[in-house]
Amino acid sequence: MTVKRRSKPVSVNPLKIGQSLGGILAMQGCYRAMPIVHGSQGCSAFPKALLTRHFREPIAVQTSALQEMDVIFDANRNLEEAINAVLSKHRPDIIGIIGTELTDVAGVDYQSMLKSYKRERNMRGGLAFSVTLPDFRGSLESGFSVTVEAMIDELIQQAGLRGQRNVNSRQITLLPGSYLTPGDVMELKEIVSSFGFEVIALPDISTSLSGHLLTGFSPLTRGGVPLDSMLQSLQSGLTIAFGSSMERPARRLHNALGTPYKVFQSTMGLKASDELFHFLHQISGVPVPIRYCWQRENLLDCMLDAHFQFAGMSAVAALEPDHICSVSSWLEELGVEQKALVTSCETTAVAEMERDVWVGDLDDAEVLGSGADLLISSSHGMAGAERIGAAHLPAGFPIWNELGSYMNVSVGYRGAMEWTNKAGNQLMRREAEHRESSIRHR
Amino acid sequence: MKALILSEGVDDPMEPIRKEEFDDQACGSQAPKSKPCPRPKPGEAAGGCSFDGAQITLLPIMDAAHLVHGPVACAGNSWESRGSLSSGPTLSQYGFATDLSNNDIIFGGEKKLKDSIDYIAGRFAPPAIFVYATCVTALIGEDMDAVCKEASGRLGIPVVPVNGPGFVGSKNLGNRLAGDALLQYVIGTGEPEQETPLGVNLIGEYNIAGEMWEIEKLMNQAGITLLSRITGDARYKEITWAHRAKANMVVCSRALLGLAKQMESKYGIPYFEGSFYGAKETTYSLRQMAYLLNDREMERRVDRLTEREENRLSHDLRPYRKILKGKKAVLYTGGVKSWSVISALKELGIQVVGVGTNKSSDEDVQRIADRVSDDTEYIPEGGASRIIKTVRERKADIMIAGGRNMYVAMKEQIPFVDINQERHKAYAGYEGLLRLAKELVDSLDNPIWRLASSPAPWDKEDSYDR
Repeated sequence: MTVKRRSKPVSVNPLKIGQSLGGILAMQGCYRAMPIVHGSQGCSAFPKALLTRHFREPIAVQTSALQEMDVIFDANRNLEEAINAVLSKHRPDIIGIIGTELTDVAGVDYQSMLKSYKRERNMRGGLAFSVTLPDFRGSLESGFSVTVEAMIDELIQQAGLRGQRNVNSRQITLLPGSYLTPGDVMELKEIVSSFGFEVIALPDISTSLSGHLLTGFSPLTRGGVPLDSMLQSLQSGLTIAFGSSMERPARRLHNALGTPYKVFQSTMGLKASDELFHFLHQISGVPVPIRYCWQRENLLDCMLDAHFQFAGMSAVAALEPDHICSVSSWLEELGVEQKALVTSCETTAVAEMERDVWVGDLDDAEVLGSGADLLISSSHGMAGAERIGAAHLPAGFPIWNELGSYMNVSVGYRGAMEWTNKAGNQLMRREAEHRESSIRHR
Repeated sequence: MKALILSEGVDDPMEPIRKEEFDDQACGSQAPKSKPCPRPKPGEAAGGCSFDGAQITLLPIMDAAHLVHGPVACAGNSWESRGSLSSGPTLSQYGFATDLSNNDIIFGGEKKLKDSIDYIAGRFAPPAIFVYATCVTALIGEDMDAVCKEASGRLGIPVVPVNGPGFVGSKNLGNRLAGDALLQYVIGTGEPEQETPLGVNLIGEYNIAGEMWEIEKLMNQAGITLLSRITGDARYKEITWAHRAKANMVVCSRALLGLAKQMESKYGIPYFEGSFYGAKETTYSLRQMAYLLNDREMERRVDRLTEREENRLSHDLRPYRKILKGKKAVLYTGGVKSWSVISALKELGIQVVGVGTNKSSDEDVQRIADRVSDDTEYIPEGGASRIIKTVRERKADIMIAGGRNMYVAMKEQIPFVDINQERHKAYAGYEGLLRLAKELVDSLDNPIWRLASSPAPWDKEDSYDR
């Protein structure tokens, strides 16, 4: 309905995660890739530490290690050095140059530098592209989708497709949004392929950040979608995007190649899952596999069981824009009062929601959500949840107070069931604690 | 005090403590010409920036507000990432950022900074506000010092500018710049509530996983007053009177040695460098304190205490030593821990076969050399691949490093113990060594190593006998 902001000069307990981290995350879903952050050391060290903490996996990222004088005189000398070092030491298939607020404010033109570098070095076979992701615009979500868009753009140019292509109507390109966990991406791949489609997820963090025992450590990404498959995805007969932020990359494929696309704004809850399965059923002509019919019943039964727990409860959620749309529709189905929805930045999807959304920080969530029973946010929200006496449900990024959160599933019937049970359990535990303390203090 | 004589009974002789040329050699000192801080190599660099370093040093001042002046990511990516524990106030765990937008950068963010300071002062009433510069605000030439000075005068609380934007250099340099801010704006601005004739400051101990508490307990048992904690679990006020201490102990030398040096020249406070990792280092440090305080009675008390503690520890360690004896470790950590943890491991019977010197000063490297055997491999740089190579080649049993390399080790299925700031266990002092021994044994003895390296049944050769 409306997007609101609290008037406050300072961000208190930031919810927003910089765009460049989103860019680095997108690159992790590509096989043998190396993102190079064009900024000072910290611009890559902080995201690396944070991503490592969340996924409990090594994260591939490098930096151009800018220092004061480099910024003043010639920042691109550092970038060239960085690309040289990365190429000669690791020979990645994909290089993504991620410009930061530092290079943006200094006005560094690394786009044309990269172009001439590619020309001079005759960089064929690999994929190299650049994105501009300053942290004073957008958020993790936009950084992720912009990077995917740039990747697709480069793929199209590389393939040199002009009008002609062999469309494979049994092949679908998935564009999963940044809020989806590796577990979610895996689930979506399974769901879509169960209707007889070949699926290429772009990017595919389900095979790189899901915890696997591929042989040993590599400074490049392990797992993820290989470059061959990425190029092959240009032949897909359809694109399915999850999250509104992924509409732009989908549209890019549509405009360049004519690939039709479908965007699923919400991915959580019964209704969202019904829409997805119905759509897949319609385009494939294949009946919904029996296991998903069972899962649908499981979910409904679970919601019946849980409705005692959720009735009369209220929640506040502080998440990235697409994620908040998804979570809000799930809360709606549970009959939970939504005290406040807080998000990191304004997007069209958020502006078009049927509820008020606040652009703000975790402090806003704490103030607006005072009296709420449940606070849904990253691990950063734990302290705030405690202060307002709400149960905390870890979601979004980063989560460090829970093992295996990267394998959590929120999509499909199974995901909705997992989330419903998890949230219900948190509320039950909180109730038990309250009861206990009331006995003790009487 | 030109040279210090070791007190009797220390069986592990330390090298001379004072070297006048140290500061000229130091990274980020006033005279960098003699040996500049090595420039991070693009495409091969790892580790944090100066802003990171400045924050690490000052964030453990628990009751102060820490405001990051810049775009949101510098704060958004870094808040709540340290394991510095608090015994009371939690304001320093709040993430404050001016969150500059496009427009602020074009037209200047000073107004926003001023408003932010006012807002924080009004709502949270902190005893002080630290304001951190970032690359962007430094680049567009914000006059942070002036804004802080003006706000401080108007609000009547100290507002301390910390000028360590990320691009001036490494994390270490940031530590030093934070130390400069303390010297310039904080130390010497207050007086202790009561006279403490036997007060010692701890410099560069950040109360990771509560280590400061362990140390404080020991000091109290010996009758030594901990006057100012710089900065583990500190309150702003206690740092203002740090200049009234009788001695300084520098725990993390690479970070804040300059601060101790300047306190010596400015206030005449003698200092020494020491560590609390391992029983020997702990005993040495406590003795050194008593020695510098120049109190016979206290020296005797410390001797009694350390002897008692060491005896008890040696008894408690026996079962662990049996398992750990002869095990090989690769140690990859920065600064003071590079050498002090070696002592601790030696006491447990573990041989260090490889050690990182990436973030060590020349002094640190010298101390490493004094503590390891000649064939120990030094790992100056190269990151994860290089560490793993050393582990494999030297047939090490365990890797001891920071959280960044934890999952690298897991991918290679190498037992691992986390030694850096994100960890949850305190390894300082006598109790800490016992805890470290237990942690090492638990990691080495874990059933997972056997399970993870065995193939699935269907991947084994022999076929099913029908």
